[in-house]
Amino acid sequence: MASLKRSVDPGTVGSNISSKVYVRSTKSGKVQKIVREVYLRQDIPCSSRLCQACLKSAPRDAAGRPTPFVLSEQPAGTREFPQGHYLVPDTNAFLTAMDLFEQSSAFYDVVVLQIVLEEVRNRSLPLYNRLISLTKSEDKRFYVFFNEFRLETYINREDGESVNDRNDRAVRKAVKWYGEHLARSAARKAQKAPAVVMLSNDRDNLRKARAEGLPACSLAEYVNQLKDGERLLDMIPETQDREVTEGKKKPGEHLYPEYFSMSKMMTGVKGGVLHQGIFNVSPYNYLEGSIRVPAFPKALLILGRENINRAVDGDLVVVEVLPKDQWKEPSTQVIEEEAMTKNENPDTEEGSDLVSEKERKALQEEVKRTQAQKTEGHPIPTAKVVGVIKRNWRQYVGHIDQSSVSQSSQQGRKQDTVFVIPMDKKIPKIRLRTRQVAELVGKRILVTIDAWDRDSRHPVGHFIRSLGELETKAAETEALLLEWDVQYRPFPKTVLDCLPKEGHGWKVPESKDDPGWRDRADLRDLLICSIDPIGCQDIDDALHSRPLPNGNFEVGVHIADVSHFVKPNNAMDAEASIRGTTVYLVDKRIDMLPMLLGTDLCSLKPYVERYAFSVIWELTPDADIVNARFTKSVIKSREAFSYEQAQLRVDDESQQDDLTKSIRTLLALSRKLKQKRLDAGALSLSSPEVKVQMESETSDPIDVKVKQLLDTMSLVEEFMLLANTSVAAKIYEAFPQTAILRRHAAPPKTNFDELGNQLRVKRGLELNVESSRALADSLDRCVDPANPFFNTLVRIMATRCMMSAEYFCSGTQAYPEFRHYGLASDIYTHFTSPIRRYADLVAHRQLAAAIEYEAVDPSVRSRGKLEAVCKNINVRHRNAQMAGRASIAYYVGQSLKGKETIEDGFVIKIFSNGFVVLVPRFGVESLIRLRDLHDPEPQAEYDAENYVLKTSGSREVTVELFQKVRVRVTDQKDESTGKRGVKMDLVDTYGR
Amino acid sequence: MPLDTSSYSLALLRVDGRRWNELRRINAQIRTQAAADGSSYLEMGHTKVMCVVTGPSEPFGPARVGRTGAGAGATAGASGGEAGVVVSIVVAGFSSVDRKRRGRGDKRIQELQSTISSALAASLHTHLFPHSTISISLHVLSQDGSLLAALINAATLACVDAGIPMTDYVAACTAGSTSTYAANDESADPLLDLNHQEEQELPGLTVATLGDSDRVAVLVCESRVQVSRLEGMLAVGVDGCKQVRAILDRVVRDKGRKMVQEGTVQKGVGLEDMEVD
Repeated sequence: MASLKRSVDPGTVGSNISSKVYVRSTKSGKVQKIVREVYLRQDIPCSSRLCQACLKSAPRDAAGRPTPFVLSEQPAGTREFPQGHYLVPDTNAFLTAMDLFEQSSAFYDVVVLQIVLEEVRNRSLPLYNRLISLTKSEDKRFYVFFNEFRLETYINREDGESVNDRNDRAVRKAVKWYGEHLARSAARKAQKAPAVVMLSNDRDNLRKARAEGLPACSLAEYVNQLKDGERLLDMIPETQDREVTEGKKKPGEHLYPEYFSMSKMMTGVKGGVLHQGIFNVSPYNYLEGSIRVPAFPKALLILGRENINRAVDGDLVVVEVLPKDQWKEPSTQVIEEEAMTKNENPDTEEGSDLVSEKERKALQEEVKRTQAQKTEGHPIPTAKVVGVIKRNWRQYVGHIDQSSVSQSSQQGRKQDTVFVIPMDKKIPKIRLRTRQVAELVGKRILVTIDAWDRDSRHPVGHFIRSLGELETKAAETEALLLEWDVQYRPFPKTVLDCLPKEGHGWKVPESKDDPGWRDRADLRDLLICSIDPIGCQDIDDALHSRPLPNGNFEVGVHIADVSHFVKPNNAMDAEASIRGTTVYLVDKRIDMLPMLLGTDLCSLKPYVERYAFSVIWELTPDADIVNARFTKSVIKSREAFSYEQAQLRVDDESQQDDLTKSIRTLLALSRKLKQKRLDAGALSLSSPEVKVQMESETSDPIDVKVKQLLDTMSLVEEFMLLANTSVAAKIYEAFPQTAILRRHAAPPKTNFDELGNQLRVKRGLELNVESSRALADSLDRCVDPANPFFNTLVRIMATRCMMSAEYFCSGTQAYPEFRHYGLASDIYTHFTSPIRRYADLVAHRQLAAAIEYEAVDPSVRSRGKLEAVCKNINVRHRNAQMAGRASIAYYVGQSLKGKETIEDGFVIKIFSNGFVVLVPRFGVESLIRLRDLHDPEPQAEYDAENYVLKTSGSREVTVELFQKVRVRVTDQKDESTGKRGVKMDLVDTYGR
Repeated sequence: MPLDTSSYSLALLRVDGRRWNELRRINAQIRTQAAADGSSYLEMGHTKVMCVVTGPSEPFGPARVGRTGAGAGATAGASGGEAGVVVSIVVAGFSSVDRKRRGRGDKRIQELQSTISSALAASLHTHLFPHSTISISLHVLSQDGSLLAALINAATLACVDAGIPMTDYVAACTAGSTSTYAANDESADPLLDLNHQEEQELPGLTVATLGDSDRVAVLVCESRVQVSRLEGMLAVGVDGCKQVRAILDRVVRDKGRKMVQEGTVQKGVGLEDMEVD
């Protein structure tokens, strides 16, 4: 009788089948045992051009194309391996020094083992992605060798062997096989085989490899053999370096409390004892952080170095709430790291106390103050960080703290320890070891954090590269782009290949039989014009209007038809979706799409025919929509106006041509549309916007102007809003699950607590935040007859309490959540700027599918993909704004260079040892500290309930919130960030 | 987290080390249950199923005759003139990673039952057995993708073992594509015989053909895939079915040869090509 047991007969069923067993735990905490088959084979090539044997069995894809071999026939040699070498790094090498592998001067011909790739993926997805892009790059010659599937290199885990040890052994086995395999191939060709070198920073692994007679190097040893080794040496993370050379440090006193274990944190969070959230540092006080957790309506405070416990801004951390008697109020003091830790010595790090005397004093004063004012008593729950789930470390731009550099290191080339002060004030100083101190002082440099141990006061990092001299335009611009993660490299060839072959010579085809004309409306005879800022090259939108016989008006908004040129899923589309948006800096524009499209073929330039996507409404004279029509079209813009030109033309009564009349019609309709919007509760918010004027030749900034608001701007804005809303409704109707929309959540009421309280106390005004309408009305009431700017000031401050708007995919939210709070619109999307925003391009594709112009592309229907797109463009959008603002701030600083002006400003925030003044003329705000008022520092009394700061002693002034002050504005190089910025001094308080 | 299906393009290797056109290891036995009329056991990778055939026999009760979709399973072709094929599937609770109970009324199982039932009814010569029932019970012991294909193959083997006359083997396998629908990758390779992970991440279809011919007996596609890729997938799938048929055929012949050697059965007429040595 047959038995089932006999089915797998180990003798006959080849030895080439194995299985992989591993255990994984799911999100819900269940533990699963997964078994997977592994088919071992012998036809996985070594991919060396030397090898003939592998070439025969090279794998082919379904179309019969073999994969080309990657590794060079004559790889570069080094001192130790003059015959040339291939590198086989282990996981740690990639995890710690990915920057090294991305260098263009060395690290060619690298074999990435499958097991290494898997481990990198487990440990860090961003690094995995960088590694994958390295393997795809043609000139770097990185080859992924699937060692776990090759019979000769596959190994089984032995009894009692840890997974790590097994993987290390797999790496050694692969190195060994490669060496022998290449030796055989080379012998056949009578050539010298290149060495196969294992790169590892694991001492144990290195020792074992050497014992087995395999060539192996630590990263430092290897880099030392290279030509520009010294420069590269700095890029090896320090901690790893130490592990190899010195071994584990003796367990001394630790400065910081130990983190909880992951399982303890997870159980704690599940049980509600601990809380998880993103850690944020206060921009004014580096010793104060906050964290929002679902269990508390307000953010939890985290005060002091010990409680912050090595968390860095943006990290995902777990916190424990402190007992109630330790709850405090948010600090009213400005504490800057720079001032506090000025004289620290980077070398003598270990022994010192965690909290320096000065810091302790600053904190104690805080405590005293809270205890003295028991009456007020709104203490906020405080918490301490007990563990970090995920670090959000990135690369940081900064400069070396001059004072941390010792004299001797200025000349010699010995390794030295210095502090790097990041440009982002929220990031702590980074300790860095380098041999190039002399060259790097005074430069903008890019560094990264490697680790932050319990016994180290500051995080430890390593140097990546230098951007150039401080304060040079090139270095500062690049620094800014890096800080905000803007992709600024030129478009790769694959992207440019997607452009139309005709280049600038591309034209709308003359014959209407051309496929380009299919289903396009011919709108060339309409009087269409565009209105944009001066010097605008990427014209996204154009408008027209004409009276209809029935007394209504036909109004059309015509948007550049970018989706005609950018087809889904090609290289250009992929690049645009990563960039997400065009970034506008003062002197530079970083495009989302190549120039040819953005400023020529797509741009709705005047006097030429262009493809467009048109939204055409019939509007009643009261601006009610009778119907809306969407169509692809061909248009010919009659004129490209600037806002100012259009305004002049409208105001000039003598101009009575049709084009001007149609603009006047549009203007009249737009006013009605705006009124309707305001009636529905749209907010008119404000932010201090300025424009930097440049000298045309040298592009040096000469003046700063506050942006003027013209009627024509509002005209364009209203119709764009109308188009966006109409399109949003249409694509939501066609794709209820996958329409790309934009929402603006109602801000939580607590966001306005402080502003409401300030207005009540200082001006007796009530801020009603029940609904956007109520808020809009109460903002309208916030006027001060003596101070016309007061209303704008309140609006600026209210804007900062808002949530930020975001893109989302309609299936992820319920319909009521679609609402755009600021615009008071039930549904909204972005449609009108496809040249500079990726979201608009997606909306174009969806609209084209909705009107059955073209088939639905899978990428605009897949919810998972759209969610990923939304997530990315939300981040990019925000970063682009930040980069733009930072760029303006930099140029404002530059324009003030060497000048001194006295301006009016307003107090917008008060601390117990300083206050913040906003100068609308330059759109800048700056902190004035007590010690800036006079030397010696005056005494001050701070009345937190009434927001008044009264100084006495060396200088007597009284400053209160919303107060108008006169300040002297000069430029100053900020020592802490190395940025040239605005410095203000109080001149006059207008009689207080 | 080991690598996923997106790493295929790196070295043209799938998650388990196979190439695009390779089947997993298939192991099969027939006559595993001596007491049954026909029985089989089949493994496609880690997907393991067994099958027991009872019949053709008189229906269990008068009520059964002529009824379609009878309680325990799906029936096909059960009019008075020919035999009904009743398929019932039991999925063992321990068969997948998560222990999950599946009731009788599970819609997915019902669909599998009726697919198999109608596929086999077309190949079996049911007209030879009027007023009777062929009852096929399938047991899923372990699941790792391509479940429907494995069930069809096991049922075919068991029917052969039961000696029910049939036109030819119904051999099945799955085919997929190396990139997802949303990725819309023009150069995606077709894949043969998906395992569980690939089934989860990639589009796929199940195809069964009749013997060595290109006649498709079953085609089930439940995922979204571009029409342009479908042809390639189908071609690879049909090709896979032929390989599967060859394997099933060898299993049957090996068993037959062994039985002749052992003297369990007489070497009969028409078995000349079954060399006994």
